[in-house]
Amino acid sequence: MKLSSKRMLGAAAVVTAGSLVLTGCAGFGGGGEEGGDQALTFTTWGSEAEEASFTELIDQFEAEHDGAEVKLNVVPYDQMFSNIDAQLSSGDAPDLFRVDYGNLGVYSSQGQLLDLSPYFDNAEVDEFVPAMWEAVSYEGVPYGVPHQTDVSAVLVNTAMVEQAGIDPSTLPQTQEDAWTWQEFADVAEQLRASLPADKYPFVYNWQLGGAPRWLSWLFQADGTFLDGSTATIDSAEGEQALDFTKSFFENDWVPPTSSTKGTVYADSLFTEGTAAMAFIGSFLVPDVDYLAEFEWTAIPMPRDVRGATDLGGNALVATKDTDNPDLAAEFLKFMTSADAMSLFCANTNELPTRLDLEGDAVQFVIRPDVMPVFVDQAATIEPSDVKQLTSPAMAAVNTALQDQLEAAFIGGQSTADTLSNLSAAIEEAAQ
Amino acid sequence: MTTLTARGRGHATASSRPRAARRTARLRESLVGWGFAAPNLVLMTLFLFIPIVWALILSLQETKGFGDPEWVGVDNYAKLVGDPVFWQSLANTIVFTIATVPIELAGGLGLAVLLNSVLPARGVFRTIIVLPMVISGVASGMIAVILFYESNGLLNKVLTAIGLGPVAWQSQGVPAMISVVIAAIWLRIGFNMIIYLAGLQNISPELYEAARIDGASRWQQFRSVTVPLVGPSTFFLLIMNVIASFQVFDLIFVMTGGGPGNATSVLVTYAYRNGFQIREQGYGAAIGIVILVITLAFTFIQWKTSRTRDLAE
Repeated sequence: MKLSSKRMLGAAAVVTAGSLVLTGCAGFGGGGEEGGDQALTFTTWGSEAEEASFTELIDQFEAEHDGAEVKLNVVPYDQMFSNIDAQLSSGDAPDLFRVDYGNLGVYSSQGQLLDLSPYFDNAEVDEFVPAMWEAVSYEGVPYGVPHQTDVSAVLVNTAMVEQAGIDPSTLPQTQEDAWTWQEFADVAEQLRASLPADKYPFVYNWQLGGAPRWLSWLFQADGTFLDGSTATIDSAEGEQALDFTKSFFENDWVPPTSSTKGTVYADSLFTEGTAAMAFIGSFLVPDVDYLAEFEWTAIPMPRDVRGATDLGGNALVATKDTDNPDLAAEFLKFMTSADAMSLFCANTNELPTRLDLEGDAVQFVIRPDVMPVFVDQAATIEPSDVKQLTSPAMAAVNTALQDQLEAAFIGGQSTADTLSNLSAAIEEAAQ
Repeated sequence: MTTLTARGRGHATASSRPRAARRTARLRESLVGWGFAAPNLVLMTLFLFIPIVWALILSLQETKGFGDPEWVGVDNYAKLVGDPVFWQSLANTIVFTIATVPIELAGGLGLAVLLNSVLPARGVFRTIIVLPMVISGVASGMIAVILFYESNGLLNKVLTAIGLGPVAWQSQGVPAMISVVIAAIWLRIGFNMIIYLAGLQNISPELYEAARIDGASRWQQFRSVTVPLVGPSTFFLLIMNVIASFQVFDLIFVMTGGGPGNATSVLVTYAYRNGFQIREQGYGAAIGIVILVITLAFTFIQWKTSRTRDLAE
């Protein structure tokens, strides 16, 4: 085999070029440097309706702001935060991104986000629901804007409950006539008796990262799980909530695969007809409307000492190292203006966070008949719930809830052990 | 390479400074060697050695991946020792490896022997068996989810139809582990078959002829000719399969997410969970380093003890 020095030089050049190309790849999907000095990059995930609304609002923003250019980057939800984490650690984060209230605390507590206090005066802050402004604040400083919220309520397959002898016209519609835990248990029992073994009275949406939704039961029992850095879950209220939710599995009220580590979403089990009722967030109303081939309606979550639901929805944030902090803040302000929020929520069946959009101010596009139940349900969220749910410890608390609830629900772990394990994990996370 | 060496030598004898010329020739030869190895070395350095060193550094820190990391020394490793879920994940990984590797090897060899013979439509069979290999792990995982879906998946429907009743593939630990083992075997057996097919085609037919003349039965031919002579393939596949089993991730992540409970949690899913879901990247990296050490140790032992790895006709 002959190899001239010319060829060897060529080979070396190919290798060098190859490695240059590879290093060049490292910056994919990056942020701040692209475009002119009025350019912003915005990373989000989203359903089709959400993406369309974001695009429409961005066009409007660009039209109103001469020279401004917002580059929308829609990524799959599964990769959203590992992408953002990697981009933050390599100093290549987008100027703006969307984040749920649970994850927001992780970023704000690590000093990764733009402090918005210079951009919002008191009058502007007062336009938001106080609990939602609390949700974007860390140690009193706002690090994002509450873009929308969504809460869970109960969807009911009317034909299935009717077959069990429950008249759909008697179903509760408002918080005042919401079922108590006992009434809810009676309905579940009645459904269990009438349904075949492979169908279930209901399904709860605590799978696939949804474990914190279990806390709604704790709040309904008037319990708490975190006070500063002290875990408060190992209490009489905690025991009550855990015993009640464990009974869902013991009594075969929920599918055995629907525990906190289940890999199937609750709405799939509902739309395929495996469960007669499902606890589901309002943002899924369009999907259920499209997929379910049966009549369904929405009713409030059951209540115990008080009503409660989960804090869904997302904030929009700007990163600390953005080149255009003023323009980024302007964009956040625009996205949470009454008109923009109203349009976004109407198209996506999500709930507004502004006081002037409360009640029936938003004209929802899909199933407007069921949306008042969700709007009504959102009012059961209390500032004290929000304070706990947006703690920076929440990401670790989420995992602890997944593991411990799964062990309690289907692993036979006792209530006392579960609460004490949860208490230890929450305390460690909150340190 | 031989031409070059011979030319070099010829040149050396004619030269007035033979030693210098020999040195040039040797230098040239080694440069050629490095030239060939360089592309791989560059890629391996970029995507293997640097990340490994990086992971090692990360495993000595407490960090969320962004913000200011904190040096904690071997704290992450100390935490590992006392973490029951880590030990369970390690045990699950070993169980998964023991359950998959022998079946993959034996099945791969069996299929290869079968498809190496005059089987009708063997091209079609080969394609079907190899097909899962070309599909991404996540996509195969999704297919497996549809098959093993507990409430109305295909397998449970079939089992119910033939009167056996449904199996709790997603809500009980043992059936869940069995489901991921079956899916992993389905995915990997095609690769083993291909390597064995190549190995089989290297065995000279005369050896079988000689064995037949000596009165060896079919089984004896298989046992005493085929099995030892595919030794290098077996060695290669054993290492590859064990490493693949120790690093299994996509399939389990999609099929069970490590559940129910921690019944199918393996080292890599546990590392991912810590590194990217809980954002304890230092702890996740420490688990990664443990996986690296275990696979290196296994490969080393296997390398030292295998007698058939270089066996050829």
